[in-house]
Amino acid sequence: MGLQYEQIKLKQIKKVHIYDNDYPEMLTYISNPPKVLYYTGDITLSSMPCIAIVGARKATSYGKWAAYGFAKKLSEYGIIVVSGMAYGIDTHAHKGSVESTGKTIAVLGCGIDICYPASNKDLREKIIKDGGLVLSEYEPGEPPLPFRFPMRNRIISGLSLGTIIVEAGINSGSLITAECAAEQGRNIYALPGNINSMYSLGTNKLIKDGATPLITFDDIIDELGIRRQPALSRQEIEIGKDEKSIYEYILRSGETTTDFICRSTCKLPSEVNAIVTILEMKGLVHTSMGKIFVAN
Amino acid sequence: MYSQIRSGALYGINSEQVIVETDLSPGLPAFNVVGLPDTTVKESKERIRAAIINSGYKFPAKRITINLAPAGTKKEGTHFDLPIAIGIMSSIGLIKEELTKKFAFLGELSLDGSVNRINGVLPLVIGLRNQGIVKIILPQANAEEASAIDDILIYPASHLGDIVAHFDGDFAILAYKKKNKGQIVKIRDDMDFSDVAGQECVKRALQIAAAASHNVLLIGPPGAGKTMMAKRMPGILPAMTYEEKLEVTKIYSIAGELSDNHPMIMTRPFRSPHHTITGSALIGGGRSPKPGEVSLAHFGVLFLDELPEFNRYVLEMLRQPLEDERVTISRSLGTAAFPAKFMLLASMNPCPCGYYGDPTHECTCTHVQIRNYLSKISGPLMDRIDMHIEIMPVQYKELADMEGLNEELQKLLPVRNSKIMRQEVEAARQVQIERYKDEEISYNSQLTPGLIKKYCALNTEAKKLMEAAFNRLSLSARAHHKIIKMGRTIADMEGMEQIGAKHLAEAIRYRSLDKIYRGL
Repeated sequence: MGLQYEQIKLKQIKKVHIYDNDYPEMLTYISNPPKVLYYTGDITLSSMPCIAIVGARKATSYGKWAAYGFAKKLSEYGIIVVSGMAYGIDTHAHKGSVESTGKTIAVLGCGIDICYPASNKDLREKIIKDGGLVLSEYEPGEPPLPFRFPMRNRIISGLSLGTIIVEAGINSGSLITAECAAEQGRNIYALPGNINSMYSLGTNKLIKDGATPLITFDDIIDELGIRRQPALSRQEIEIGKDEKSIYEYILRSGETTTDFICRSTCKLPSEVNAIVTILEMKGLVHTSMGKIFVAN
Repeated sequence: MYSQIRSGALYGINSEQVIVETDLSPGLPAFNVVGLPDTTVKESKERIRAAIINSGYKFPAKRITINLAPAGTKKEGTHFDLPIAIGIMSSIGLIKEELTKKFAFLGELSLDGSVNRINGVLPLVIGLRNQGIVKIILPQANAEEASAIDDILIYPASHLGDIVAHFDGDFAILAYKKKNKGQIVKIRDDMDFSDVAGQECVKRALQIAAAASHNVLLIGPPGAGKTMMAKRMPGILPAMTYEEKLEVTKIYSIAGELSDNHPMIMTRPFRSPHHTITGSALIGGGRSPKPGEVSLAHFGVLFLDELPEFNRYVLEMLRQPLEDERVTISRSLGTAAFPAKFMLLASMNPCPCGYYGDPTHECTCTHVQIRNYLSKISGPLMDRIDMHIEIMPVQYKELADMEGLNEELQKLLPVRNSKIMRQEVEAARQVQIERYKDEEISYNSQLTPGLIKKYCALNTEAKKLMEAAFNRLSLSARAHHKIIKMGRTIADMEGMEQIGAKHLAEAIRYRSLDKIYRGL
């Protein structure tokens, strides 16, 4: 115990009890709130309006792009993004928030002194440095065990006004978060996906069962009843004629490959490859695993 | 009763002259070979005795001492049989010694006196020629192989008796005439790039790789066509020059992979070892060093299918040959250096189950599994691979449908066959050979940082693009030179003197793996 106390002091881990003033109010309304929360960072964030963004660890580029986009949009309106700092969607949701100078809350399924997954160490440090919050109901030193993650999900949804499920397979743990949100009487939003995508079966089913589909990034803002700000004056990006024709084709198809672009624009692969790189550098498209997507 | 006969010994791919000294002295009959012979040479005593007797001559009942001079270096190989036998026969006066002075002898003897095929004839002959020998008697079966060397007379022998008769003047062995001066290069026509539907982008990338021997990694789910396209690679490689053919043939000669029908390696080698290969089979090794797959792929392609399945420590061994373009192997029986200037072509799935990123199959791997899988290829090895190409399976019907709609397209993108692709590769390679004729290198992937400064000047536009690429796409610093080298090759393929921004932009597309790691 002595050692643990030292660690708590050393790592600036603080503790908030359910009767304390700082305890997030939203959590007190759920059926089984944690008695104690351990945290590092700014606890007042947890009493501000929050939205959770969750999804599968193994996500497609589409899912990661969407998680990033929603987090960024929410941050622009000063809404706190809550997620679980796991691989995939969670990581990109935190990144979207951190990289657009927003504040974010990471709820862990293990002791707060443990960084799980270890590869997110940089992200965790960045979250704390930028005034975010990392919290957990588990005592420092508790290892990440499988049963803790579903428990953790109730805190993610409990802190938030609503939960966005970005991508989930049919057996994904994110569906547990959606279930928690439903039990807690919070809103559930889901990102629709192609019906042939394994990674969107869960979210599409949620929509069928009554979750609110989000079809643009602004939808979430409208849903929260916030007045939309005029779009930030986007820097006009100059693009040439060839670039434009390729960009338009990518816009039309959403997700494509070089071979298809060659065929539809009547250009050689060498030209197309060069132009795709330039578009990517201008931030208009995004490539991954041989496929080309529209970036936003 | 003393005689001297010339022969040669192999050291790696080089050879040196060896003088076979024979001395017959009165005493108890004995037969000793000295001068550090290995087992194959020691055993030759029995073959020589039987061969001489079975050819109808008398084996001298004397104390026979054979010395292989210089006596301090180790000798191995069965090609000492013939010179030792000739040495004994000229010591007892069956052959006049002065007649043998101008000749060198190489050959293995059979018990009935016939002369058998040996390994490593080409490097031995080249070594002897460099020592000023112009007449060589060697096995009939090796004659075609040895005739690759122009300024030397090859006397093919099939039986010990013929050689004795030749020196007696009863029968003349005539100098060998090359069967066909320029052998027809057979190109396999059952493997053509026109068999591959769509995938123009990958074809283009492989063409760039072939033009300057860039190392390539193909990544994609099963059934995307990785192996199919890799197997078609030999069809688009540029032809070898005479010197290159000779050097490759030397290696194959030592490895014993040449035959009568296939005496000279005419096309660039394409080696695809199975992933259970051991380190010494890949790099070379053995008690007395023999060339491994990397050397057998010299001037050609080493294809490693399913790269992460290879033993990790075996893969790490590739690092040094990829850098130095040669391997030096030291064993108890000597040190040998073999050249290994090959193009590495590797293929892999993006994850253990293979379907990560595939649009139609679900990937069943966990994140940790995928990371572990990718991390089997170490950073330093990845560093040495210039191009990463992602392949997605083609929905052929979709592609075909689009093709039918557009006539202009068919003119622009005809199904490219290997012949057209090879012509373009040849042209680009020619440009490089011309440019680097005063340098030690011959193609772009060998460029050193110093030479990049000299030959790959970037204009302002290109420099700006590189800078933007590094900031925007977070490319690693190590990617910098690779991209410039590839840009050089792409410019060469278009016949452009200056590397333009569009060349670099295309090259950047072929450095995608950093991003896969980042995206996880």
